[in-house]
Amino acid sequence: MRSRRFAITGLAAAATIGLLAGCSGGSEPSEPAADGELPTGQTISVWTFGATGLEESMEAWAEETGNEIEIKTSEFDPHHEQLLTALATGAVPDVALVETAYSSVFKPSAEFFTDLREYGADDIEGDFLDWRWAQGVADDGTVIGLPTDVGGMALAYRTDLFEAAGLPSDTDGVEALWSSWEEFVEVGEEYTETTGEPFLDDAGVFFQTVYNQGDEKFYSADGSELIYDSNPQVQLAWDLATSAAGISANLAAFSPEWNTGMANGDYAVQLAPAWMLNYIQGQAPDTAGLWNVVTLPEGGGNWGGSQMTVPAEAANPALAYDMLATILSPENQLDVFKEFGNFPSTPGLYEDPALTEFTSPFFSDAPVGLIYTESVEALEPVYEGPKERAILREFGLGIDRVESGDESPDEAWQSTLDAVALEVQ
Amino acid sequence: MATPVLAATATARATRRRGGRRSLTPYLYIAPFFLVFGVFGAFPLAYTAFISLFDWNPIGDQVFIGFDNYVALVADPRFWNASWNTVVIWVLSTVPQLAVALVLAAVLNQALLKFRTGFRMAVLVPNITSVLAVGIIFTQLFGRDYGMINSVIEALGGDRIDWVAGTFSSQFAVSTMVMWRWTGYNALIYLAAMQSIPRALYESAEIDGAGAIRRFFTITIPQVRPTIIFTVIVSTIGGLQIFAEPLVFGGQAGVTGGQSRQFQTLALFLYEQGFRNLEFGYASAIAWALFLIIVVLTIINLALSSRIASEK
Repeated sequence: MRSRRFAITGLAAAATIGLLAGCSGGSEPSEPAADGELPTGQTISVWTFGATGLEESMEAWAEETGNEIEIKTSEFDPHHEQLLTALATGAVPDVALVETAYSSVFKPSAEFFTDLREYGADDIEGDFLDWRWAQGVADDGTVIGLPTDVGGMALAYRTDLFEAAGLPSDTDGVEALWSSWEEFVEVGEEYTETTGEPFLDDAGVFFQTVYNQGDEKFYSADGSELIYDSNPQVQLAWDLATSAAGISANLAAFSPEWNTGMANGDYAVQLAPAWMLNYIQGQAPDTAGLWNVVTLPEGGGNWGGSQMTVPAEAANPALAYDMLATILSPENQLDVFKEFGNFPSTPGLYEDPALTEFTSPFFSDAPVGLIYTESVEALEPVYEGPKERAILREFGLGIDRVESGDESPDEAWQSTLDAVALEVQ
Repeated sequence: MATPVLAATATARATRRRGGRRSLTPYLYIAPFFLVFGVFGAFPLAYTAFISLFDWNPIGDQVFIGFDNYVALVADPRFWNASWNTVVIWVLSTVPQLAVALVLAAVLNQALLKFRTGFRMAVLVPNITSVLAVGIIFTQLFGRDYGMINSVIEALGGDRIDWVAGTFSSQFAVSTMVMWRWTGYNALIYLAAMQSIPRALYESAEIDGAGAIRRFFTITIPQVRPTIIFTVIVSTIGGLQIFAEPLVFGGQAGVTGGQSRQFQTLALFLYEQGFRNLEFGYASAIAWALFLIIVVLTIINLALSSRIASEK
């Protein structure tokens, strides 16, 4: 769920302070009408970091309620930086996305957000996965945001490239190729040996996938201590990712080169959280029908997902809540999934044949509804701490150093731990 | 008894007031500068110093920690790495840039040159190009897989270079962007200075048999010396704050200046700590360290460059 706008990386954020005044929506605070009806003719400003799959739903809501919608999309990290400075200065949008990796940065400052319970969030709490809901609840019980999608994970692969390499290309055949990640890497090595082409896009994506399969990440489950250097899941993810350096195309995820590689078929496998299906369809439209999707080795996991928040100083909190409740309703999330691939966070749907029997023509009619449902159903909450994102970045850089041959896996592990230690001190 | 005293006091006060009003007027004339400087210069400077003494979360706790940020900074290898990178990139870009600019200016100053105005305008074009556009174009030129420079190297029989991953290669690439952008600008400043050199000096030198190169070194350079000092100082201040070029060049890892921080400048390190890791206090300490480094280097530069071709 990251924007592809490479060009504005960081720079927008660098100019944040100067520009905030101009970014913060133009409408006057709305007066609730006497009969309790919501106002019309307002402009709701929304800040996101890219393909939520919800843009069209927001437009539709605006049309229906007689309001306007103004969406500003930034890169992933700059988006959160801008939100932070916006909260500090008060020049805020009506709605802002907060991704789970950043939730611990914002949740302690719950007073900067509208408590959505004031508008009836309690009534819809039951619709959502408990742990996804909890990611938007501050320690004092304030509900700062409603959950968007769930990043249940699976694996997308290019059937044509598998065939060309002499591998089975049907889903049963592919799933039989490996029962563990080690075997997955071995198949990749065979593939690269046969074809001379990389198997994976990026070892960093591989690391994130395995890391996201854990029930603990860089912090212990209760958030009391940092376990990035002792958590076996992190170690496993590291070992696997660095062992895959030789079969990786070394394309930095979400970079223009990565987009090009995806469209050109420079690699055969894309580890794919549900929202990635949306990304693939957007970046590589010509590859329709050439992909298929299977489950991950070694269980499900979650990568990503956001809360949609309403800052405390938003001009139109009531309208903003009405929009969120509408576009995040189970019915609408189902539509969004069918259209864009972002997987619903409302478990009521997980029994619904409309979801479980959904197949995607783009992905060779893979039963993506069922695959992602199974990936998500087993999930438990995982604690993500305030330095989650910063630590993850250092691990990503360490893997890059291995991929480009600068350092051996052991050297990079040590240099990464050193770098993280500086980050968390 | 009291009356004369009072009268005297009143007169003195009146005089002082009149005198005061007289001397106030010039201050009013220059006040706009000081107001603007106070709001956008002095206040942020002081406020940054204030924040640097805190563990500062703009939407959370702000804890006074004294000089701890500075203590941590001195012990932080990332800070020294960024300082070193900044100096290397600055030297790599500034020295060739000013040398080329001098030669360029001398060429543009030739009386016989055709289309002079056209050339003079042309050298300034890079400078008015958006730094972001420059960054994107150069990043593509230096691209590993699809970059034009690697294609040329390959066509000539060399090996592809992963420009971003290497230390020197990445610093070199960043320096070329800075050079490309600022050479023409400095050339125009030198040109202006050269045009004020009396023609007679050149003519008599020519009569005495001095060639073009001799004239350049013994007349042109000494004559434009104050301008050289000016450009060196301005380039120092600018060069030490390089930010956008490496940020764009690094792509996804731009903020850290690459996977090993191999081209992270001080300004990028400041941005990383402040806005990406949300350590505003620490970032403020870095800002002050950067300020001090610029002051020190500018003083050294002033001393060095005033010796360039100084009159004996």
